[in-house]
Amino acid sequence: MRKLLQREFAGFITLALFLIYLAFAAPSFYSLGNLRDIALANVSVLLISTGMTLVIVVAEIDISVGSLFAICGVCGGLLARGGLPIWMLPFAGIAIGSALGAANGGLVSFVKAPSIVVTLATMVAWREALNWATGGAWVENLPANFQWFGLGQAAGEAVLFSATAVLFLAILWASHNLPAFRSIYATGSDAEAARLAGINTKLVVFAAFVLVGALTGLASVLNAVRFSDVPANAGIGLELQSIAAVVVGGTPITGGRGRLMGTLIGVALLGIIGPALTYLQLSPYWEKAIQGGIILVTVLFDALASRAEKRPALA
Amino acid sequence: MIPVLEAVGIRKSFGGVRALRGVSFEVCAGEVHALVGENGAGKSTLIKIFAGALQPDEGEIRLEGTPIEHLTPAKSKSLGIAVIYQQPALFPDLTVSENIALAHEPPTAFRRIDWRKRNEHAATLLSRVGADMLPQAYVSSLSMPEQQLVEIAKAVDAEARLVIMDEPTASLGDRDAENLFRIVDELRKSGAAVIYISHRFEELFALADRVTVLRDGESMGTFPMAEMTNRDLVRLMVGREMEAVFPERNCTIGEPVLEVRHLSCVSRGVHDVSFVLRRGEVLGLAGLVGSGRTQFAETLFGLSRADGGSIAVGGKAVRIESPQQALALGLAYVPEDRRRHGVIMDFPVSMNTTLASLERVSRGGFLDFTAEQRVAEEYRERFRVKAPSVDTPVRNLSGGNQQKVSLARWLMTEPRVLILDEPTQGIDIGAKHEIYMLIGELAARGIGIILISSELAEVLGMSDRIAVMHAGRLAGVLDRNHADAHMVMELALGHAAVSD
Amino acid sequence: MNRATKRQEFILALLIAVEIALFSTIGKNFFSAANFFECVRLAVEIGLISLAMTPVILTGGIDLSVGSMMGLAAVVFGGLWQVAGFPLAAAAVCALIVGLLGGGINALLIARLKVSPLIVTLGTYSLFRGIAEGITGGARSYSNLPASFLYLGQGYIAGVVPTQMLVLAAAIVFYWLLVHRSVIGRAFYAIGLSPHGARYAAIPVTRRLTLVYLLSGLASSIAALIYVAHIGQAKSDAGTGYELIAITAVVLGGTSIFGGSGTIRGTLLGLAAIVILEDGLHLAALPAELAGISTGVLLVLTIALERLASRQRAAVAENQEFEMKNSQLAILCSTVIVGALIVAGSNWYLVKNLRSGTSGDTTAAKEGQGRLTVAMMPKSKGDPYFISCRAGAEEAAKEFNVNLIWDGPTQVDPAKQNEFVEGWITRHVDAIAVSVGNAASISTVLRKARSQGIKVVTWDADAAPDARDYFINQATPQGIGGTLADEAAKILHGKGEFAIITGALSAANQNLWIQYIKERVASKYPEMKLAILRPCDDDRDKAFSETQTILKVYPKVKVIIGISAPGVPGSAEAVKQSGRQDVKVIGLSLPNLCKPYVHEGVVQAVVLWKTRDLAYLTVKAAAALARGELHSGATSFQAGRLGDVKIEGTDIILGSPFVFTRENIDQFNF
Repeated sequence: MRKLLQREFAGFITLALFLIYLAFAAPSFYSLGNLRDIALANVSVLLISTGMTLVIVVAEIDISVGSLFAICGVCGGLLARGGLPIWMLPFAGIAIGSALGAANGGLVSFVKAPSIVVTLATMVAWREALNWATGGAWVENLPANFQWFGLGQAAGEAVLFSATAVLFLAILWASHNLPAFRSIYATGSDAEAARLAGINTKLVVFAAFVLVGALTGLASVLNAVRFSDVPANAGIGLELQSIAAVVVGGTPITGGRGRLMGTLIGVALLGIIGPALTYLQLSPYWEKAIQGGIILVTVLFDALASRAEKRPALA
Repeated sequence: MIPVLEAVGIRKSFGGVRALRGVSFEVCAGEVHALVGENGAGKSTLIKIFAGALQPDEGEIRLEGTPIEHLTPAKSKSLGIAVIYQQPALFPDLTVSENIALAHEPPTAFRRIDWRKRNEHAATLLSRVGADMLPQAYVSSLSMPEQQLVEIAKAVDAEARLVIMDEPTASLGDRDAENLFRIVDELRKSGAAVIYISHRFEELFALADRVTVLRDGESMGTFPMAEMTNRDLVRLMVGREMEAVFPERNCTIGEPVLEVRHLSCVSRGVHDVSFVLRRGEVLGLAGLVGSGRTQFAETLFGLSRADGGSIAVGGKAVRIESPQQALALGLAYVPEDRRRHGVIMDFPVSMNTTLASLERVSRGGFLDFTAEQRVAEEYRERFRVKAPSVDTPVRNLSGGNQQKVSLARWLMTEPRVLILDEPTQGIDIGAKHEIYMLIGELAARGIGIILISSELAEVLGMSDRIAVMHAGRLAGVLDRNHADAHMVMELALGHAAVSD
Repeated sequence: MNRATKRQEFILALLIAVEIALFSTIGKNFFSAANFFECVRLAVEIGLISLAMTPVILTGGIDLSVGSMMGLAAVVFGGLWQVAGFPLAAAAVCALIVGLLGGGINALLIARLKVSPLIVTLGTYSLFRGIAEGITGGARSYSNLPASFLYLGQGYIAGVVPTQMLVLAAAIVFYWLLVHRSVIGRAFYAIGLSPHGARYAAIPVTRRLTLVYLLSGLASSIAALIYVAHIGQAKSDAGTGYELIAITAVVLGGTSIFGGSGTIRGTLLGLAAIVILEDGLHLAALPAELAGISTGVLLVLTIALERLASRQRAAVAENQEFEMKNSQLAILCSTVIVGALIVAGSNWYLVKNLRSGTSGDTTAAKEGQGRLTVAMMPKSKGDPYFISCRAGAEEAAKEFNVNLIWDGPTQVDPAKQNEFVEGWITRHVDAIAVSVGNAASISTVLRKARSQGIKVVTWDADAAPDARDYFINQATPQGIGGTLADEAAKILHGKGEFAIITGALSAANQNLWIQYIKERVASKYPEMKLAILRPCDDDRDKAFSETQTILKVYPKVKVIIGISAPGVPGSAEAVKQSGRQDVKVIGLSLPNLCKPYVHEGVVQAVVLWKTRDLAYLTVKAAAALARGELHSGATSFQAGRLGDVKIEGTDIILGSPFVFTRENIDQFNF
């Protein structure tokens, strides 16, 4: 068990230290309202990072999730405006996200194109196509029950939290207990051995991209219903945020090992920086620098530690 | 009795190289059938075909009388064929228990895994094969012998009717090897058929019922083990008396060019190695696989950092902390892993040849392409590298020619000390001979040569002196006139230490 | 190897020739020396980074931090010069040192500690940009650079060759020699193909990798200096997104992302293909998004085809690699030809329609026949405020028989605004109307437009007064600031705390309004206090979270003034979700965005003006100027359905600000 924690160690310790510091420097940070707000703002990041963890475990990467997020949000809004029953919106998000994820997955898995280039291309093409189609206009005049699924703020927030928690825990459980998910780890660890063991590695890689697409689509819808209209240009920077959370959480970029709990810590750590800065009355413009610093310190710490222990490094 | 596996007239070629030319083979239930042959004789190819990893060009395979077509790894696994390769094919990031489970569980994607059952099952298996690691251990934390045992556990678990073992004791110590023999015996008693490949004849005499000898892609026959002697086997494998292959050694040996004292590299398992290499001398470095010879050579060459001992080149004490430093001092190292370390596969012959001596084909840091082509041509002719031109990517050449390019690269650096690590591994006999002649020429020119080889014949035939390593230490150094295969093997096994 | 590589590059060059030929027919003034050099000027910064990216990718690595380093180097340069008083040359050298240091951080982690380049440069991508933003508070920019420095980025040699082209040429020569002719370059290929193999060949891998990342950092800082000279401003957002364009150029040019193969020439050709595509689309008045979409598609196509082609190679043939590349490029070529034909065909169809009198798309490419062309640019196409303006502009264009080109960056991007104006100068439009993102950077190019006889007006946000003929202002800044202060005072009954959420701290017009709010409060409402001022980058979600935090950290704030159209609904939503009935929101925003909140009572007043009218007036004024109907010194002019409009000096004023409240907001729909 201790070995499992070792990799998350850096992220966990940093988070703990930061939280302790905040307790002294800005105790008002710990109001229930603030914590709830931060959690709500990061619900979508957690879902996407969960999917991203699995993509990285299978030794690939997806930098198109931000554009995917934007598209699913706009489509969700348009569908709602077009009369789609509100309860179907999350499923619509999942469907559209899965389709786009399948495009990525198909190119990576069956055409064997490198994932960094494929998702770079789709990231740019999709974002620009969305800009072109919407002309930058927000989706307005949404039906009244769009916001919070018509449930009102309190119930709506509860739905968002519980949906995220359930999905995260389900994937956490599945990643340990379902052979379908274990084959993701096997493929990421040694694709050739996995193939020889009878795993359909192409399908596994494809499925990982579909999964992250589905989770992103869902996250987009869940985020959109916090407001009463949908902006045209959401999700900028989301891909880097989620990759950073995964790495800081201790998942090696080389694949084979994934730390979903670590990803949760990573999301939390990177997510509290912004609000914490305001509470500490520091300029919010240092947020990016601190995030970058945390990433670098994490990989540095891990690289040095793995040298000392002579074990393979994180990245 | 119908054989468990029967192969008739198997042919397989790669590019232009004929690896198997009509081999027939069969093994019965409850039998341990040894498969011997030189490197490149076709053993690996044959078992890969049985495992479904390769498709034969011609020939038929029958499993208990039924012909099988289009064998794939998955299919062969399901038919009860288990293979243990030299390199364990495990998932480094997964646990032992999961590795074992993945080997034989049918892929039912969405049924919940019972970890307790898996771990218990794994624990039972591990104790059966004499392994003492926990099922929850990550494979990446295991040593090679331990990983090997996991592979064996997988095969035992599969309750295979045919178990193929490719050099299973190559990296095992005595105790583990004994353990392995016990398992093989158990397998035989349980009615499985075992194909056992090994270079260690004493093992074969102890374990095997029958033996098949392959040479240059052909079967030289199948014989009851009890009726064979060492000499018989060797003669069938090699086809000629050993000594004739090697050039005469009668050149003058000069002053010391390399002195190694108590060299250690603990992280790589090298301990306290000392010897002196003289100009014009060929020092053979023998030992079993895993005895630390490559690790020692890499430490000497600066690829690993030495943490004890001293090195003197040409009488001057030096520190070698990188390959660049080693090169500057006149050392050259032709690595064992030709494809990954010896050449850059996608570079053409010319660029590979000049890679370690770019300063000779450049002026002021800028490359002189004409000079490069010229030099590359020279070396190509000299080594008789068979390639359409010096612009051919090395990937397209045969193993022997690739090795020549690797040699050419290092000889271009005009070294004082040349370390050759398994230079003739996987090379056809003609190319081998050329390389032997070349080594002789180089020694005659005054280059000190360290020849690392696992082929006893080669070591005995080529060397002036033979150093033998065992478990990272120098077990002894023998003079050629006083050495024979038996003594070398004893030292290699760690038995008696014979001083020079 | 040489023969096939030459063939590959010939095909890519052919592709570019085709692009040029096609855009020459459908784009105005595309095929001219002036445009060629403008293309080069635009490409220099990206070119430097792409050149440096090539050896990085050749060695099997990647560098995502190059764009961010541009931002950091730019602000270091600007700050040292303007704030610390360094001489320009010293400040420039310091910027270069910063580039080397940044590259050094990458090199240390990647080359020495062997951490994945993707992750390291992801971290430095955040770190460098973050430090730049932190130092400048995201807002402070440094301008008013001396002309001698600006000459580097805006000047011409012999009247025609942009100055920075020399830098690019030098860089091309350097990198070509390094990669293709030097011993070190040979090592790059070896390392990319087989890092272990290279090590065993006694190549000093760590040293070589350190070099590529150091050079990459250095190139970024040089690019930053040129960028600053080019747009006349040093700001932390310099180079945003450049890393991805560079990677695209390199991969498009045939370099394998896995390392070990690729050429400098290929990168240049890939870069040329992208730059020409973008420039051509501008000049053909086609939406800029097409560039991004087609680049993405091209990238996927080339990679996919390379992969598919390689799978069909069964035998081990000598020219295996290069046949692959040929087919890859042949299809690349034909795809672009087909794409361009489609574009040309649709354009021709549109033009045909225009000539025959049907209204069609007012953004068609052809000019002439006495019809004026007015090119109008919002600060950002994606801002709902500007989207609502567009309707008015198109109304005026139709009414006054004017060709309207409506285009601009999707997000606020001063550098991109410059590019658009440059393109319009090349097209030689009759008038340009710009809502200015940053006055310092755009004024130079606007002056250039005026010097070539193009009429220039600014609207909504002004440039330097000598860079434009007129400024169409929606209301006086005093009027706007005053109205906002008055509305706030109404709610607070003259005393209490309030907060301001502005669009961007660097927006000149917003800052002016804030200044007048403060003045009004100081003079008329001394018991009101501004607790905090925060930017939201015109982002609804950011305004939301900023407001949430403000409500908690400054609990005494009872009024939030939002000066950003997307920001006000964000603030309102935050107030609503917090349940704080005692806090109200007012601001400058669009009625539609705020209607629900106005009805719920969260938003008390929305101050704005008729955005349609503003744009309508702008187009009319621009057209009048171009037709010679509007002269300097006039005190009023006839503006169609708006009647007589007042002119104060060079400011054309639309009127007074309008206050939308619960009572009247339903009458409006924009």
